[in-house]
Amino acid sequence: MTQQKDPGQQPSRRLLLGGALGAAGALAVGGAGFATGRATASEPGDPIASQVPFYGKHQAGISTAAQDRLAFAAFDVTATDRVALMHMLGMWAAAASRMTQGLEIGPVETHPQAPPADTGEAMGLHAANLTITVGFGPSLFDNRFGLAGKRPAALEPLPALPGGVLRRELSNGDIGVQACSDDPQVAFHAIRNFARLARGTAVMRWSQLGFGKTASTSQAQATPRNLMGFKDGTRNIKNDDTADLDEYVWVGNETDQPWMRDGSYLVTRRIRMLIENWDTDYLADQENVFGRFKDSGAPLTGKHEFDTPDFAAKDKDGKPVIDTRAHIRLAAHENNNGIRILRRGYSYTDGIDPVTGYLDAGLFFIAFQKNAHEQFAVLQRRLGKHDNLNEYIQHTSSALFACPPGLSAPGDWWGKELFGA
Amino acid sequence: MTSRRPALALLTLALIPGLAACGSSGDKKASSSDSAHGASNRAAITITADKGCSIDNSTLAAGGIDFTVKNVDATAVSEVEVLSGDRIVGEKENLPPGFNGTFSITANAGDYTLYCPGASTEKSPLKVTGKSAAADGSSAALASQASKGYANYVNTQVGYLLANAKALNTALQGTDLTAAQAAYAKARPFYEKIEPVAESFPGLDGAIDARADGVPATSLTGFHRIEYGLFKVKSLKGLAAYGAGLVKNVQKLQTRTDALAKQDLPYQLTELANGAQGLLDEVASSKITGEEERYSHIDMLDFANNDEGAEQAFAQLTPILEKSDPALTKQIQDQFDALNTLVEKYRDAAEPSGYVLYTKLTKADKRKLAAAVKAVQEPLSKVASKVAG
Repeated sequence: MTQQKDPGQQPSRRLLLGGALGAAGALAVGGAGFATGRATASEPGDPIASQVPFYGKHQAGISTAAQDRLAFAAFDVTATDRVALMHMLGMWAAAASRMTQGLEIGPVETHPQAPPADTGEAMGLHAANLTITVGFGPSLFDNRFGLAGKRPAALEPLPALPGGVLRRELSNGDIGVQACSDDPQVAFHAIRNFARLARGTAVMRWSQLGFGKTASTSQAQATPRNLMGFKDGTRNIKNDDTADLDEYVWVGNETDQPWMRDGSYLVTRRIRMLIENWDTDYLADQENVFGRFKDSGAPLTGKHEFDTPDFAAKDKDGKPVIDTRAHIRLAAHENNNGIRILRRGYSYTDGIDPVTGYLDAGLFFIAFQKNAHEQFAVLQRRLGKHDNLNEYIQHTSSALFACPPGLSAPGDWWGKELFGA
Repeated sequence: MTSRRPALALLTLALIPGLAACGSSGDKKASSSDSAHGASNRAAITITADKGCSIDNSTLAAGGIDFTVKNVDATAVSEVEVLSGDRIVGEKENLPPGFNGTFSITANAGDYTLYCPGASTEKSPLKVTGKSAAADGSSAALASQASKGYANYVNTQVGYLLANAKALNTALQGTDLTAAQAAYAKARPFYEKIEPVAESFPGLDGAIDARADGVPATSLTGFHRIEYGLFKVKSLKGLAAYGAGLVKNVQKLQTRTDALAKQDLPYQLTELANGAQGLLDEVASSKITGEEERYSHIDMLDFANNDEGAEQAFAQLTPILEKSDPALTKQIQDQFDALNTLVEKYRDAAEPSGYVLYTKLTKADKRKLAAAVKAVQEPLSKVASKVAG
């Protein structure tokens, strides 16, 4: 793999990560160029190995290995014609099946007098593990498209939760699209072409780019760090935990809407970090906030990252080693009646705050679960009230989408069962 | 159909036509009885990933012909066209896998091509035999009619532009600032309607309509120099010369457009389509941003007239486009209607321009207007290729 191409160089941490994945290359995840990022993503390699299958029981981009880059967009449907919306979703499905194979969505050289079908900026780039995941927001299920009776109970809009100063224009939406890839241009290309196919039918309501993954969803991936410099997500659900996925992530027979079976509920939260404040916080307090050591990522009661935190442990003064308001304590499933979610967030920056000049950066939090009201909302109610971290973060956007199951084959499209087509 | 085909197989399919991985039954019932007797007036087209575009009947009877189209699983294909040479005589668009549709053509006897861009087999021959009862309007005659119709529209607008430029010039020679401001707003629409035509004459557009982008407003000569004086400096001082210059330049424009109109095909049909697109590009790039009328803020007036000019150019093409693609024609007309309805909401009789000032628009207003413009532009971008040749 990468090391073989450049034998004289000492492997860096990033390259070692690539090597570890290479060894795990037999997984569905594929290995070439993964996690080594842009440097190898655009080099000629094995185009097949860097593909995540688009068709399947579940949508890709949920339990499949987290890629390095994110392009997310929420759309509002402007058309009032149900058929136009169905066509758009059909065009999206066909386009996604092509792009996830590293192909253009349609022929480029056709009529000299017509714009090409594909915008072209991903030509020559591999799929770079592109996944495209689509979900429907609560607002789609009003009277416009005859879907009012099809809204699952679990798609009730999220209630107001502590810790949020939400900006409406960055929140919610009729349809959410998550494009993840190891190449940012490939991810952007997917969203751009979706927006283009949507014109006249739907408009982008908001969009978010993420430049670095903050969660690993595979045992083969090391836990990445967030912009606070911490490993947060060590105990995430991994893609080989089939039992956990079935219990916490995939919608099962309990749903009141059969079209959602094998789907999942997606929550996004744009969590701005008050980075300048954080940067002046002293090390012991930073570690106290998270409940982990900054360097190793080990819990304050352990030595290694994956050591199980001992929430009962006391120091010599009888105080809990892991603070009562530490992030890992409040978020731990042991302390939340076993509630777990699958996290898949990305670090973002949108430049600077025009008023203060401070960095506008943080975590674009993404979580998948069986029922966001019983999972994410319960956790956030607790975290938003008590978490030490609240001093340094602010939730600025929120959205909930119902992601239907995966598409079976060409000819299937997102919402086909929902629309009864 | 297997529920999860390996990516490799799909990729191979796209590259090697005819290599089958999964069968497809297709839809054969539409015209099997007709085709048994030879020429028929209907045919069923089935699009699959492995076989591409197949038709159950490739010999058809002259006259009206109805096609049904079904896209089974070809992800790279979303449209079907029937070509006569390079000219599109009929088509169905917006047909992703899992959907079906219909379209009709009126064809004389001859050789045609069934074209499915992106399919594993893109083109296959079609034969039309016999005599058509209804005579088809010749495409050359339709083209000439459209081109002359647009030339007539352009010349009418240029005539109004000249009259209003003269009135503006008269006001600029006087002492009434308010009257001159009103005269400015009256003259603007006629230029905004036909701007792409003026742009085709190098130098004229700049002399008449250049904006202070990167150059001081005082170095300009046309409308926007006058706008700067009337609305920014708020004085008539020194503007008389620019008024006279504007009249002279509009007269030059009229000489050119008059000469063009005498030709058999004054404007190419692709120029009409691209001109309409160009006007909407103008709206998106400089009206929604308030850059065009940065001193007077009457951008919504320009917006409405760019829109009208685009719709008029498109309207000349509809008799041609309707023959080959009635669905697209209707889609564009509907989107123009939606845009017009939206623009109408910004009328304000109390303003000299007749529209609310740009400074009164909210962010949400601008975003809605921008989306409505793009909703016209995306389908409109397909028109040039369909009326070409």
